[in-house]
Amino acid sequence: MSVKNPGIDLDLEWVSKARVNTQAVLKRAQQVQGRKVAKKQWQAAWLLKAVTCIDLTTLSGDDTPSNVHRLCMKASQPVRRDLLKNMDMHDKGITTAAVCVYPSRVADAVKSLKAANSSLPVASVATGFPAGQTPLKTRLDEVRMAVQDGATEIDIVINRTLALTGQWAALYDEVRQFREVCGEAHMKTILAVGELGTFTNVYKASLVSMMAGSDFIKTSTGKESVNATYPVAIVMVRAIRDYYLRTGHKVGFKPAGGIRTAQEALVWLVLMKEELGDDWLTPTLFRLGASSLLADIERQIYHYVTGCYAAYYELPMA
Amino acid sequence: MASVASKTVYDIFQSMEYGASASTTATAARTWLEQHSQSLGLFVDGGFVRPVDRQTLRVTDSTGESHNSCSMICICAKEEDVSACGVSASAGFKAWSELSAHRRAKVLLRLANTLQRYSQCMSELCVLSECPCSSSALVRLAHYYAGWAQLRDTLMPNWTPRGVVAIVVSADCQFYSIWLKVLPALAMGNAVIVVPGVKMAAPALLLAQVFMEAGLPAGVLNVVTGDCALVARVAQSIHTSYLTFCGSKQDGELLAKQLAGWGVPTSLSLSVSAVCPFIIFESADIDSAVDGVIEAAFKKNKDWQWVLCVQESMWDSVVGRLKLRMTGMKCVPLASEAHRSLVETAVQQAVQQGATLIQSCPPPSTGGLYPPTVLCGLAPPCSAVTTPPPGPLLPLLSFRSVVEGVTLGNHSPHGQAASIWTEDLTLALETARSLKVGSVWVNSHSVTDPSLPQSGRRDSGNCTNGGKEGLYQFLCPSLTPRMPRSTPRSLDYSAFGTAASTFMVPEGFDPSSVPRSCSQFIGGKLCKADSGCIRVVSSPGGAVLAYCADGGRKDIRNAVEAALKVQPGWLRKSSAARAQSLYALADSLDKRRRDMAASIQAQTGISMDEANEEVELSISRLSDWAARCDKQSGVVPPLPQTGSAFLIPEALGVVGIVLPDTRPLLCLVSLLGAAVAMGNAVIMVPSEKHPLPAIDFIQILQVSDIPGGVVSIITGGRDQLTQALANHSEIQAIWYWGSVEGCQFLQYTCCSPLKRMWLHCEEEVDEEGGRYWTHPSPSFEEEMWREAVVWKSVWIPTA
Repeated sequence: MSVKNPGIDLDLEWVSKARVNTQAVLKRAQQVQGRKVAKKQWQAAWLLKAVTCIDLTTLSGDDTPSNVHRLCMKASQPVRRDLLKNMDMHDKGITTAAVCVYPSRVADAVKSLKAANSSLPVASVATGFPAGQTPLKTRLDEVRMAVQDGATEIDIVINRTLALTGQWAALYDEVRQFREVCGEAHMKTILAVGELGTFTNVYKASLVSMMAGSDFIKTSTGKESVNATYPVAIVMVRAIRDYYLRTGHKVGFKPAGGIRTAQEALVWLVLMKEELGDDWLTPTLFRLGASSLLADIERQIYHYVTGCYAAYYELPMA
Repeated sequence: MASVASKTVYDIFQSMEYGASASTTATAARTWLEQHSQSLGLFVDGGFVRPVDRQTLRVTDSTGESHNSCSMICICAKEEDVSACGVSASAGFKAWSELSAHRRAKVLLRLANTLQRYSQCMSELCVLSECPCSSSALVRLAHYYAGWAQLRDTLMPNWTPRGVVAIVVSADCQFYSIWLKVLPALAMGNAVIVVPGVKMAAPALLLAQVFMEAGLPAGVLNVVTGDCALVARVAQSIHTSYLTFCGSKQDGELLAKQLAGWGVPTSLSLSVSAVCPFIIFESADIDSAVDGVIEAAFKKNKDWQWVLCVQESMWDSVVGRLKLRMTGMKCVPLASEAHRSLVETAVQQAVQQGATLIQSCPPPSTGGLYPPTVLCGLAPPCSAVTTPPPGPLLPLLSFRSVVEGVTLGNHSPHGQAASIWTEDLTLALETARSLKVGSVWVNSHSVTDPSLPQSGRRDSGNCTNGGKEGLYQFLCPSLTPRMPRSTPRSLDYSAFGTAASTFMVPEGFDPSSVPRSCSQFIGGKLCKADSGCIRVVSSPGGAVLAYCADGGRKDIRNAVEAALKVQPGWLRKSSAARAQSLYALADSLDKRRRDMAASIQAQTGISMDEANEEVELSISRLSDWAARCDKQSGVVPPLPQTGSAFLIPEALGVVGIVLPDTRPLLCLVSLLGAAVAMGNAVIMVPSEKHPLPAIDFIQILQVSDIPGGVVSIITGGRDQLTQALANHSEIQAIWYWGSVEGCQFLQYTCCSPLKRMWLHCEEEVDEEGGRYWTHPSPSFEEEMWREAVVWKSVWIPTA
């Protein structure tokens, strides 16, 4: 993680000029989904790339140290070693990009990873996840504590009330404050696109979050009714492109919620390549928030290596 | 090949390339070709025929790789093949037109089903032939026109099919455009002879076979292949009653010239060479617009040439996005090596004129590939803007204001289509209205659907394809006299209508009654001929009735100038206001009915009763048009996609009308009414033989509230004035009643620049012709108003 977005002063004129044509975006999403990656080694390579971009996540009420430990172990060895070896990829440091947990589980995750001699970053959701409807003070404290516990990446959620009522300046200030308390930790800003109403709002919220210094913008918490969809992603990555063209800062993108199959993972990579180019095809600028996705990818890789379809129990569980 | 196979997972993991898409094997298409031993014949009388000893044409497929290429051989049809085809088509026409509408519709519905079965083979064959076409689009077309076939007798009861229709489509067209003409022609009950470009012969022949399987009677659809000479031969065949062409401007012009004087009505869709504006306003979703233009302009088989026009305030952001989005785009194959040098010359020229390039990669040193290239900072005088070469080039221009954007878009001899991008609804609708093109796509581009007609303006064509409107080119009103078939006379086109008329003092001059001197009517004013010459108006008995102006080129020019000034204002008036003006005109005619009847009688020598009847009919005809002003409206076609579409009949602009000799007043008001009601300005040339009623009508026009200049009446020699009308590019349409030579001259001359023509040869239909005006068929006025408008389709997709 070398890229950092210092943010810029809030430019409301830029925000107000944002325009998104819904049908054109939907059409573009169709097009992106039609773009195919070649089979065989191409597919395997792309899937491995997807693995390295995964923020392996568990965000449940019943998370305990034991399942967080298993998650961390799976994250540091995401694909069976013999399969990797077959592709000559065993020594290329294939791990997921990070593990992502609730603030209270950060300490457990850090401990597990340390014990396994892994330098994998721990990401924590924060700021009243998922609704963001807690006082600003507690939200700031939450971030501070997660950082203290060793989280190096913080996934904050924006205050939808501010976005929906068009209080962009207030939103900018809040995100700015989160940015400050994050300190050295990377900040990913969750827009909760399913609750923003229109594409234009999504575009504006993306711009404001980036101006306030987010290193990543993330689609959703995974807890809304509508999660990461391709059209909404196109709107967000276009905002990233816009921001890049104007400021020269590269901001990353993280779709999350409902991404379960290897096929979808490929579409996400294609989308990034088509809209933003190869620079955004690395974990420094692209993350996939997912939990069950990894199992499906591993099965597809198993199929590429062996020519057979694996049963779930043949691959190590998370 | 070896390097591809040896790419390791790690290589790809680092480069993240897509990898080559699996090449299709096209098994179905190859099997079909093998069944025909790669040698395709002609499709005549319901089956393939392979006459021996014919010249052949070799068509190589797209893959170009020797190990799996399969070349097809086409036959060049000879004279006897064409006549056999004509005979078969005539017989086919008889069988097909006698079927009930329902039976015809059923065949087309079955066709849609059969096509679905053949879709794999069809699309593979299209890909092999380098004319990709989705078979679902063809299925939709068949379904759509099956509906019109079913409803023809119910909704268009007074129209009859034309007979044998020749459909000529050149090789650079889309494969779809053949069927966009064939299906409506068949649906209306015509028989069709298709002459496809050699490249698309194979899929066209396959489709002909599919039609037969669907139960189309033998001879109704014939496909003949061959060289350029074939087209003329097919058109000149006595069986052919109408020809429609789709292709490039040069080919269309050549064909129209070859066909002048054969008496075959011809219409041209010259969409291939059309240059279309792609206008991005500052209120646009810039990202979507840039994506759109990249998709439209850098395709291999693109439908149109695009010119990107960007509002100045958005210039940097569009250029920045283009640069970013175009990086890494692959080179686009050109149609031929020859195009490569065209493209290179154009790029060099543009660079010399100060253009900067945005290129996805440097062009490869040789070969038929070229990278997507945007030419920034060009100005309209650069030839890359006016005539962009075929290839992945996109000229980029800037404009300051919305108004200037529209002007830039309209400042072109083309009028095929435009794509406009803005989130501002009012701006979108205003722009859509003001662009002089056949199709406007708002926040989208290149949307085709059979229910959205494509209609060319200016040099982009003079016919409408698709929709209900596209049916009328294959129909004529029942009871209307047809243009007689003829053979071209030897005609010196450059000398036509240039003979100076000489004023002769008539014999038997009677000093007791000095004939009056009449002026012509230009721009709302009475005036003499520019040349100062006059002509004699004489009665059938030879008595001198009056002297009238002998108008010429300059008078036509003045009338056009006046018309151009007032026509936009006349069009902007509400249709209700236009209706009132026409009602008032009818009223004034009513008040002067006696004078007009006397004028008709003096001029034509018919009885007073007949003359009165003509005036009566004229008043009623004018009232008809007044009534139609605000009744002839557009359509809101339902489309399979979500969004709003509408179809607007728009005025042509300035129409030149050369009036017939019969019924001088009635035909004057019929045609004037049609054109003016729809918002056009007209320049009318009264009959050379019987000008007096038209001259007397001037006084009625003078007192009317129709703005001066909307109607001009210029008397003089018919040929001289026809020549002058034909040679004025601002005149968008000519309606002509006159000699065979006149028709031939117009057909020859009016293909460049292209005009819409409605030609009638008066010599042989005199008796019938009179009835045509006095006892019109119910479709008479419909035909007329359809001639008086051009269609514009606007498509606004929504989510």
